[in-house]
Amino acid sequence: MRDLMNAVWIELRKATRSRMPLFTALGFLVVACGLAFLMFIYKYPSLARSIGLISAKANLAGGAATWPYYLGILGQALAAAGLLLFSLVESWVFGREWADGTLKDLLAVPVARATLLLAKFLVVVLWSLLLTAMLVLVSFLLGAVIGLSQGTPEVFWHGTVTLAVAACLVIVDVFPFAFFASVGRGYLLPIGVTLLLLVIGNVVAIAGWGSYFPWAVPALYAGFTSRGNLDAASYLLVLLAGLAGLAGTYLWWKYADQSH
Amino acid sequence: MNLPIETVDLGKQYGKVTAVKHLSLRVAEGEIYAFLGLNGAGKTTTIRMLLGMIKPTWGTAQVLNTRVRLGSQEPWAAVGYLVEIPHSYQELTVFENLEVARRLHPGTAPEAVSRIIERMGLSAYADRRAGTLSQGNAQRLGLAKALLHAPRLLLLDEPANGLDPAGIVEIRELLLELTREQGVTVFLASHILAEVSRLAQRIGIIHQGYLLQELDVDELERDRHRRLLLRARDLEAARLALATAGYPAKTLQDGTLELTDLHALEHPDDITSLLVAAGVPPTQVLVEEEDLEQYFLRLVGMKGGQTHA
Repeated sequence: MRDLMNAVWIELRKATRSRMPLFTALGFLVVACGLAFLMFIYKYPSLARSIGLISAKANLAGGAATWPYYLGILGQALAAAGLLLFSLVESWVFGREWADGTLKDLLAVPVARATLLLAKFLVVVLWSLLLTAMLVLVSFLLGAVIGLSQGTPEVFWHGTVTLAVAACLVIVDVFPFAFFASVGRGYLLPIGVTLLLLVIGNVVAIAGWGSYFPWAVPALYAGFTSRGNLDAASYLLVLLAGLAGLAGTYLWWKYADQSH
Repeated sequence: MNLPIETVDLGKQYGKVTAVKHLSLRVAEGEIYAFLGLNGAGKTTTIRMLLGMIKPTWGTAQVLNTRVRLGSQEPWAAVGYLVEIPHSYQELTVFENLEVARRLHPGTAPEAVSRIIERMGLSAYADRRAGTLSQGNAQRLGLAKALLHAPRLLLLDEPANGLDPAGIVEIRELLLELTREQGVTVFLASHILAEVSRLAQRIGIIHQGYLLQELDVDELERDRHRRLLLRARDLEAARLALATAGYPAKTLQDGTLELTDLHALEHPDDITSLLVAAGVPPTQVLVEEEDLEQYFLRLVGMKGGQTHA
């Protein structure tokens, strides 16, 4: 336990001294502001048109300035932006050791590789949860400022639980990116895979198989109508993808030649 | 004999490229062993195999009486190392980087960080970010990380890289002090021959992945080429006088006589007296000794530079 605490301290110190928390927080703030902007337009379409925020031809059908609608699209945004930003966090936490040439200082030490890796994963989870909490709090604040309707305690409770579960699904989904960062010895491979998975996820969802594609499951879960498509196998596949990521990363760190 | 490092037929192959082959090393406790080789000779690959970072294709390695295995926790508590360029976490300060290293070696006292900062002359930079350090200070930080937990064995890859002359002397004295006073064993990979010749007790020469020779510094003294060079106004008369006295000399193209007789090398004054007595006094007498660099280049089959007196 002492070794794990030390390893977590190390990872937290590295993270808090870097600019990555700021950049990822800014990324989520942009998402929150974008959604609030959309809600503002739904709430005040005439005002938005008159001050030129939207064109006269803008199609606002299908949306509503209500808390249920807002929290629904917030969940979708969290699933998509989370996949991008959490995988970025994962790629940085693992890939930086290769990119910065610091990996060798972690290899011949009297601390188990599993402990070092667990600390990295714990920090990624903590970091991702904090980003989610920030997104949710800022979004709630902006929603309140805009004055969205239908904000009952049930809506808030349901929305918060949905967002929390969606965030957890994304966090598990991005565990394999630690493996890609390790195999690719840096950031490029995991970032490339993230973009590829976002594209594949959309194609698979259109084809109707999204519920069995782990990286499409969080977005489907976050949508009020699409959640019905998910079954136990969908969640199991997310779990398996995450476990495969953990196992692959551990095996790579433990048994692969580290000559860089 | 206690052998902190022992390898048996160690080798590594990457695809069709053999980086190291048939490497059998024995490094004794408390000695400074220099592992000499050109760039790409296999020095870093050997160090990485000794540290369990890469898996040997052939053979085995034992470090501090523990069989080295990939990903193992043993025996690294008592081993300090510096492999290639000493990278650090750029956004952390010197102190924080060393604190990270300390926490990776459980049982190392917190005071060890301040102590090593002072010892390595980094006090003025303790609160500076590692990314702002000069190459020399980055090297000092790398060495500080290797020494922080008072290891019994040091594996250092080009430790003098980036250091200024004063820094090189300082590190040399530090390593000598560690071996003399604390019995630390040092395995030093380097291509800086002058540095090695001042520091090491034993030298291993690696070339294209093979260990060409292992020798004590005393053996190096014996093995390296020496010659006595003479000039005289009448070179032929001088050569004849020497031959008559039993010192065969070779006339070189630049108009110099070369003698390799051991007595002549050790008593050049006798040769001078002999030539004066023969009426052909020498105008120049020079004993040239092959230095480690020339010895090394001769051994690996490359042309050396000038020898020096």
